[in-house]
Amino acid sequence: MALGKIKADTLEHSTAGSLDTQFVVEGSAKVYARMESTGINQSLNTSGFTDNGTGDYTVTFTSAFTNNVFAGTTSPVGTAARAAQYSNSQTTGIDVDNFVSTSGSRADGAVGFNIHGDLA
Amino acid sequence: MSEVKTNKLTGTSTAGSILVTGEGNSTTTSLQQGLAKGWANFNGEGTAAILDSVNIASLTDSGAGKFSTTFTNAMGNVYYVFTGLAFHSSASGFDDAVCISRDNTQLSSVSTTVNPFYTFRVEGTVQIKDCKENMVTYNGDLA
Repeated sequence: MALGKIKADTLEHSTAGSLDTQFVVEGSAKVYARMESTGINQSLNTSGFTDNGTGDYTVTFTSAFTNNVFAGTTSPVGTAARAAQYSNSQTTGIDVDNFVSTSGSRADGAVGFNIHGDLA
Repeated sequence: MSEVKTNKLTGTSTAGSILVTGEGNSTTTSLQQGLAKGWANFNGEGTAAILDSVNIASLTDSGAGKFSTTFTNAMGNVYYVFTGLAFHSSASGFDDAVCISRDNTQLSSVSTTVNPFYTFRVEGTVQIKDCKENMVTYNGDLA
């Protein structure tokens, strides 16, 4: 059976309202991942993981973004107060850093992040 | 303008997989994978309360800076992505530096239905404390 394809500008539910499909395209997360120093546990649109050292990781995307000004949020998992950030934004990947909040030192640990932006 | 009126979208080949063409008009991304599977905005001070949410059945206040959310519809595994952000103004009127984090001591109680987490505030030192405004988001696979 051939794949079906719907081209529409609006989706409307019988009771819950309607939504312009541009919000589906532009509002969907294009990348997310839950990762540890040993690798990625679960993800969308990631193709690779590199452990660059303690608390320093690089994640590459399967499908690239049109530019590197996408919006990402991160949250850490740690044995103490932790902080996480992403840096070195590229259309094909990012660096993810995990820190101990009290010292600012990098530390291995699990991190979750998601990214919204425009796919190429 | 074309419009689709429906209460449910289901993939034809695979029920849980619908592709959306991206902004560049060529790359596709998964509709189901890209949707947040849960989010909540809640007040963490005093009597903690959810102000608005999707797929969050309840919020439990387990002590200073210790909370957990329970999903209405369970996730497919425990490796769902959890991100959060909090805000809190100190008595002096300045915003405290805050963050939301899971702690390894909580990992044993993470399940496909319950997600425990801490909120931290920096008031000279990092402390586990309640924060006034809290926002959490979940991505991953529904069961």
